[in-house]
Order: sequence, then C-alpha cells, then structure tokens
Amino acid sequence: MPASLLSLVDIEVRRGMGVVLNGFNLEVASKDVVVLHGKNGAGKSTVIESCARLLPLEKGSIHHHGSLVVDSEGRRSLAKHPFGLTLQSNGLLGDETVENHLSTVCSLSGMKTDLLPLLDAYGLAHRRYDRIGQLSGGQVRKVAVLAGLLPAMLSPEPRLVLLDEPATGLDESALAALSLNIRQLREAGHGFVIASHHPEMMKCATRLHNLESETLQEQPKAQPWQAVGVVENISLLSTRTGHRYLRSTRAGIARNGLTGLLVLGALLAFIDPVSLDKPLLVGFVLAAPFAAGLAGDPVVYLMREQRAGDWWRAHVNRLPAADFFAPILGFILSGLGSILFLDAFNWKLSLIGAAVLWVTLLCVRFIELSTLRLARPNAVFIRLLLPILILPWALVVEYTATL
Amino acid sequence: MRRRIPEVFLGIGFIGIMSTLFLGLNWAPSVSIDAFESPAAQRIFYWHVPSAWAAFIAFGVLFVGSALWFFKRSPFGWRLHVAGTEAGLACGLMTVWSGCVWGAAEWGTPWDWTDVRLNTFGLLTLLALFLVLGRQSQPDGVETRDTFSTFGLYGFVLVPFTYIATRIWQIRHPGPVIGAGDDGGSLQSSMALVLLIGALSFTIFIIGHMMISMRITHLEQRLEHAQKRLDGGN
Repeated sequence: MPASLLSLVDIEVRRGMGVVLNGFNLEVASKDVVVLHGKNGAGKSTVIESCARLLPLEKGSIHHHGSLVVDSEGRRSLAKHPFGLTLQSNGLLGDETVENHLSTVCSLSGMKTDLLPLLDAYGLAHRRYDRIGQLSGGQVRKVAVLAGLLPAMLSPEPRLVLLDEPATGLDESALAALSLNIRQLREAGHGFVIASHHPEMMKCATRLHNLESETLQEQPKAQPWQAVGVVENISLLSTRTGHRYLRSTRAGIARNGLTGLLVLGALLAFIDPVSLDKPLLVGFVLAAPFAAGLAGDPVVYLMREQRAGDWWRAHVNRLPAADFFAPILGFILSGLGSILFLDAFNWKLSLIGAAVLWVTLLCVRFIELSTLRLARPNAVFIRLLLPILILPWALVVEYTATL
Repeated sequence: MRRRIPEVFLGIGFIGIMSTLFLGLNWAPSVSIDAFESPAAQRIFYWHVPSAWAAFIAFGVLFVGSALWFFKRSPFGWRLHVAGTEAGLACGLMTVWSGCVWGAAEWGTPWDWTDVRLNTFGLLTLLALFLVLGRQSQPDGVETRDTFSTFGLYGFVLVPFTYIATRIWQIRHPGPVIGAGDDGGSLQSSMALVLLIGALSFTIFIIGHMMISMRITHLEQRLEHAQKRLDGGN
C-alpha cells in the first residue's frame, strides 16, 4: 500500500462568517494527483491553505507523512519532511532574485541543485539573476510554481506538493512543462493536491475531487522524474535573520535608520545640549533607537508583499526577522547620539541603545504579527498599543542616567 | 416594557451622574488646603473615580465576552465583547480626561510616563480604542473575532495590574482611598456618599449602555445576514 503523504481527518474550517469545510476528509498517498475543482468559494484554496498550516481548524486534524501538523486543539508542528507549496498569491518577495528564492526553497529541503536546467524548462534561464519584482506577472507565476515543485524535484523520497491555481497566468509552453513535470513526479512517487479548474490540470489528475465526491481517473505511464537534489545542509541564517532581504532592499535603513536619524536631527534642531542636565541628555540619546524600534521590523514589513509571510509561515515556525540588524543599528544610533549630545562616544550607552532598539522591535513585531490573520491587517490601528513601551523606555533612561 | 429596560437604565444612570456632579461640586466638603496644591480641582474625583469603576466593569464584560467567543464560539459572547469595548472606551476616556485635568492642576503636568497606574490604565483605554476602530476596519468574520477576542483576553491582565499598581509603585497617582485597610486613606461620610452615588449611577448607566450596544450589534448582524441572503449566499 502506498505511503500516506497527507491526511485530513474530519476537518472543519471557517472563513468569514461561514463554515467553508465541514467534516471534510482527504487522504493523499504516494502517486496520487488530487485535483480539487469545485465552484468558486467551494473551499479549494481553503483545503490547500489548511494543509499548509495557514488556517486554524475548528475541528479535526491534518497529518503529513503520518505526523500531526495542525489540529483543532491549537497544536501546530513543523512537517517532518519538506513539502512544496504554491499559493494563489505567489508568496514571493519582489526584492529577491529568482535564484535566491529557489535556493532558499532548496535550503529548506536540505538540498542543493543546479537550477539552470529547471529554469530553462520554464523559459526563465535568462531571468535567473533578476529580481522577482522586475518580472512580468506570468513569469512571477512560473517562479512560484517552480518553487512549489522543487521539493519533489530534488528528493528521491515521496514528497507532498500543494499547488493553488498553478495554471493561472502560464503560457502554453510553461503549461506543457508543468503538466509533464506533474506526470513525471507522480510516476516517481510524489503526491499532489492541486486546486484548479484548468482542463490541462484536470487531465493530470488521478482523482478529481469536487469537495463532495471524487472520480478516479486512469493515467498513462510516464517516464519517472529523476531526483536532481544533492543532500547538503545549507545554513539559512542569512535568510532567517533577514540579513539577505535587508542587504538587497535596504529596507532597514529606509525605515528604521532614517527614523532614528530624523529623531536625532529634530532634537538637535531646537535644543542646545549644553543647557540640559544629564537624564534629559540620556533620554535624547536613547530616543533615536527607541523611535527606530517603534518603526517596526523591516523584514516583517517586506513579508507583507504577495503573502510572502504566509509562504514562510507554512514552512517554518518563526518568520525571518531583523534580529542582527536591530542591535547593530541601535548601537550606531546611540553612539552617534552620545557624540552629538554628550560630546564623546559612550560605549555603555551604545550597548544600552542596541538593547533598547532590539527589545522595542521585538515587541512591535509581536504585536504586528498577532494581527496578520485579519482580512485587512494594514487597516487595523495596531500602533495604538505602542505607548505601553514608553514606560519601560523611560525607566531605562532613568536607570542609565545613574550609571 | 421589557424592550425599554436599557433606556430606563440609561435615564436613571444619567440622572444619577448629573446628581453626583451637582453634589460633588456644591455639597461635598472641600479637602484640606494644606494637603493639596489645588484643592478645588479635587472635586473632579467625583467624576474620575466612578468613571474608572465603570470602565473596570466594562473591561470585565469585555473579558467575559472575549472568552465566550474564543472558547465557545458564542454570538452572545461576541455581542458582549463589542459592548464591553465601546463602554470601556467611553468610560476610559472619561477617566483619562478627568485625570489629566486634575494632574495638570495638582502636579503641574497632565501626564507622567513613568507612573505605572497612569500608563496601564491609559493602555487599557487605548486597547479599547484599538478594538473599536479595528473592528470597524475589518469585515466581520471568524478571523476578525478571534484576533480581537485574543486581545480582549490578554488585555484583561492589565485590569488587576492597574488595580494593584498604586499599592506597589506609588509614583504620582495617589494610593487607594477606599478599601485601603486601617492605615490607608479615609473619606468623610458625605464624600463617601457622593462617591457611592456616583459609582452606582455610572454602573447603572454603563449597564444600560452595554445593553443598547448589544441590541445594535444584534441588529447589525441580522442586517448583514439579510444582505447575504439577498446576495444569494447562505
């Protein structure tokens, strides 16, 4: 009996005020291609996103390779084996290069490969080093689809692949490549759940499922896919700490750095430091890293693009965040502030400034991430809660002034 | 007649609040001029303390409503949550505003960022404002309700914290004058009576406010349901 790659056990999922899935069961084994093809709003994307751990369950549980990944009790575990995921909204960052994103997918699978032949099959070889933001809509979709297929393409072991409307926006040659890849990968033992109405995708199905009943479909034999991955544990430190994103976008400097510098500039504009006492001057020095922290985590800000944060959340438990950047910027801003306000570089004050920015950023990130599930997270007045950070900051300033 | 109960509560509460103001400003004795920088400003306490009391009741309702929605998926719980946030915001703003007026007169500054009681209560009010504005910015749905209920549940931690704040860290905000124990502050009986009338009036008013708020939310939900039926949904 083929190995079970995915099982949905009696799940109930609510979206908006309606129950989208109620008592839904699905079992996906090796060599299964399940194409979900219900009408609009029937819950196809809900199935895909639930399988990717992106939606909470009201009832039931979901298992990958026999291990629980999410259930209605709030348990949420990482899948023990990497899986492929293509979201309807791509989940890509415009500032990443094509190569960077696909390399990250390889790293998450603990493997590496030569990406060129894969990119070539989708007509993207010449775009390898281009930023995703510079590509056309169709090309971006190709990158998202390829990223979804990669974990299966790399691995000789059966992998689960979740594709939400993969055919949308693809040209004929890319669509043919996708169909061929799905057949080859299925023959190699991988399992698919695909949400699509596209006739070409429905032809690839071994099981056509309309979310109420399913129809079996015979598939002709195909040449099995030969796994192209080589095992190599590549560190994701640069990505997980946001360094790679911040280096390519300079979002940290643009948001947090400039905020801190503007505060320093504004304080200097009207105030003569010589006329002030020490606690006030310390407050001025630490105001810049505090304000920079209040601007929020620049990586989380980037992750809002095309639901990139959701793509990450499906694969890891903790989103990439500006963990290294924050204390470094805090150190620099406080150092600069101490030179401007105290006439000398003060390393103690700089270290405290680094801690202030890091902790502030951490708190703001926590508060912002807690509203990500909302339909319009950018419209919510989350920053109304930030004044609570002023009290601890003021206490730190008071304490630092005594040093 | 039962349909008019909220309006009756609101009316009685309003009359009581006005009576409290009149008694506080004209009848209650003045405090010692040696103990206060600005003795006349102290009369704002007859407004400040009862509104803070009513705010705590509203935040309690918010907590219960949030818990009922979050753990039981109770529509009644969500209506309680909405009523608690709106009443908490109204009373919180009244408390903060009156406190700032007194602080400006007594301390020379309307706000102190290093005082724990001021900050935790201020945050509670901001939390209520966040919940009211946030709810208006989002379509109604399980995602919206879950998120804001979580804030309501965790935010309630601030209520006991705010209550004990002046017992642990008395920075600017005065310590308790009622229920402070033998060595705590004390009030003249006429002062205590006015405060009691104020607390009762605000309590009745806030209960009426929340009942009306729940009724409006219920009507909004019925309207939305009717619109969805017209759209062809469930």
